[in-house]
Amino acid sequence: MDYGNENDLYSDNEVLDYYSDDAEINTDATVAADDDDCNYDSLISEDDPMNSDFDPRQSHHQGLKDQNYTVLKESDIRERQQNVITEVASVLSISKATATIILRHFNWSVSKVHEAWFNNEDEVRKIVGLLNKPVIQFPYGDYKEITCGICFDLFRRDEIVSAACGHPYCRKCFGSYISTSINDGPGCLVLRCPEPACGAVTDGDMVDMLVLDEEKKKYWEYVCRSYVEENKNIKWCPGPGCEYAIEFEGGGGDDFSWDVRCVCDYRFCWKCVEDDHRPVHCKSVAKWMAKGNAESENMSWILASTKPCPKCGVPIEKNQGCMHMTCKPPCRYGFCWICLGDWNNHVQCNGYDEGNSTKVKDIDKVKKYARKYYHYYGRWAENNLSRLKAIEDLRRVKTEQIEKLSAKLGKTHIELWFIVVAWQQIVECRRVLKWTYVYGYYLRKVKDEDAKKLLFEFLQGEAEAGLERLHGYAENKVSQFLNADGLSQNFKEFELKLKSLTQVTGKYFEKLVRALENGLSEVETPKTWDIQDYWICDQCTYANTWTEITCKICHQDL
Amino acid sequence: MSGGIARGRLAEERKAWRKNHPHGFVAKPETLPDGTVNLMVWHCTIPGKTGTDWEGGYFPLTLNFSEDYPSKPPKCKFPQGFFHPNVYPSGTVCLSILNEDSGWRPAITVKQILVGIQDLLDQPNPADPAQTEGYHLFIQDAAEYKKRVRQQAKQYPPLV
Repeated sequence: MDYGNENDLYSDNEVLDYYSDDAEINTDATVAADDDDCNYDSLISEDDPMNSDFDPRQSHHQGLKDQNYTVLKESDIRERQQNVITEVASVLSISKATATIILRHFNWSVSKVHEAWFNNEDEVRKIVGLLNKPVIQFPYGDYKEITCGICFDLFRRDEIVSAACGHPYCRKCFGSYISTSINDGPGCLVLRCPEPACGAVTDGDMVDMLVLDEEKKKYWEYVCRSYVEENKNIKWCPGPGCEYAIEFEGGGGDDFSWDVRCVCDYRFCWKCVEDDHRPVHCKSVAKWMAKGNAESENMSWILASTKPCPKCGVPIEKNQGCMHMTCKPPCRYGFCWICLGDWNNHVQCNGYDEGNSTKVKDIDKVKKYARKYYHYYGRWAENNLSRLKAIEDLRRVKTEQIEKLSAKLGKTHIELWFIVVAWQQIVECRRVLKWTYVYGYYLRKVKDEDAKKLLFEFLQGEAEAGLERLHGYAENKVSQFLNADGLSQNFKEFELKLKSLTQVTGKYFEKLVRALENGLSEVETPKTWDIQDYWICDQCTYANTWTEITCKICHQDL
Repeated sequence: MSGGIARGRLAEERKAWRKNHPHGFVAKPETLPDGTVNLMVWHCTIPGKTGTDWEGGYFPLTLNFSEDYPSKPPKCKFPQGFFHPNVYPSGTVCLSILNEDSGWRPAITVKQILVGIQDLLDQPNPADPAQTEGYHLFIQDAAEYKKRVRQQAKQYPPLV
């Protein structure tokens, strides 16, 4: 009994803890509290005191489960690399330089090295060029001088160097062979002896012994880079000018668990190294980007060299001299190329008429197929531009405007931080919104998917409208406060409104993202459920299949 | 990089060649009109191997060395339009040991280059075609290919 009590007490505490945390979350303006999954995840993210940035993704169901990636600085990379090199060198009883060569060959995977080495050491040695003993043995004792195999001059024995194979070269020639290779690029990491067809590898120890400091530095830089570039679990952050790398631990199963965020604030999908593109799949993104490259050329050509027929909208290229255009059958509309007016009533169009001059090419009249793409592409591109602008604005808010506002309004940075939060929300929402247009483009219009399209457009529309309100308000008000002299005009009101707009917009987007990630399953027609396939338990009403003889739930017999 | 070891090495190559070289081959640095020797360009002759369709031909080849030699390989050229699957229309020879990114090693000698190219004549590498005509005939029409090779050998008789 005592034991049981203790248990009860313990679980009571747990429950209490849980609720107290939960209560905290509910007061947090930025987190939706209406979903169980969501609360649990938010709870984890709230545990992290460093996490002051609001990120709507942290509050939806897969957000921050466990962060399954690590951002690596150059020093981290070097440290990890040194660790594996040391480990392999000591386990295999080989020099560190040799261990480096072997590890590089096996993509820096210690387990792969061990497996291969203990399975067949000779084979590994052969592949990477590690000789057990020299292939030639000079009777050095008999010769005072030896010919260098590159410059063919004679040298004293102490001026001659060799890789493990023993082929003799003077220090200068071997050194310049290595430095040429280093200056040619990372191929120097697999450099072999200068002797034709000799497989002996030239390792880091020889590099350190024979070349200038500048080239040594380059060589070790390449070694360090190879740890990232040839490692299956690490990729460079593609952010402009960023020098960090990101290690991904354990593959995410679906397309939505690959999003990573570098310390430089750049976010990308680790799998396809595009901009992070939740809630759209990598495949759609690749298709879209490829299409973009091909189509945008077509599109700009169409826009630049054609005009739409004023009657049917087919794009027309003018390839003859006369201005009288006749559209293809069945349209056959005759019109003036210059003013797009009907040719039958055409007299002249040389005079400038203010009312009529707007009749330039009308993008909306470009043919139907192009129109669809144009619709989605345009919105995708606009939102992307808008996002880039917002990123720049966010940077300005963080670095300059907070400072200025704080001086002007006499508020602390912490009191003004809600403005930064709002801009972070804007940036994130522009990103999501941009990708939802790709989602929309590929959302097939099948009969029973009409409902999906409607739901999608409804959610997208709501989210977009919310974002426009937030974006506009933030843009206008912040500059108003910056320009206003002295007194804080309705600062309290501004704070409340911006906070609530941020919160509301966050919720809209959360709903949108979640719906798209579920494939808009809310409106899927449920599978038909045939009562004849089941027997209903009299006691508990559970529907059992006919293969069960007793109820699966309450064990009542059929 | 090597601070001008090219000429020294080529002088040594020249000495070694004069001491001993394979039968039928010629390799000689170019002599300028004023009588001076330019070690950076060598005019060579490669004999077709006996017992092959190339037999009887003495094919002229020019080696152009750069100041980076022997860190970088020389450029080896037959006359323009030379018929062989691995010779570019410009005459440049495409051979693994002459590729500065993979096969070249600074210890490869002029003798090894010339012998290597002689081997290539009768053993083209279809994986690495450098001209359309030679490659297509080699792949599709063995008889015509043979004929063209023999014809070309006759075009380059020994210089007496």
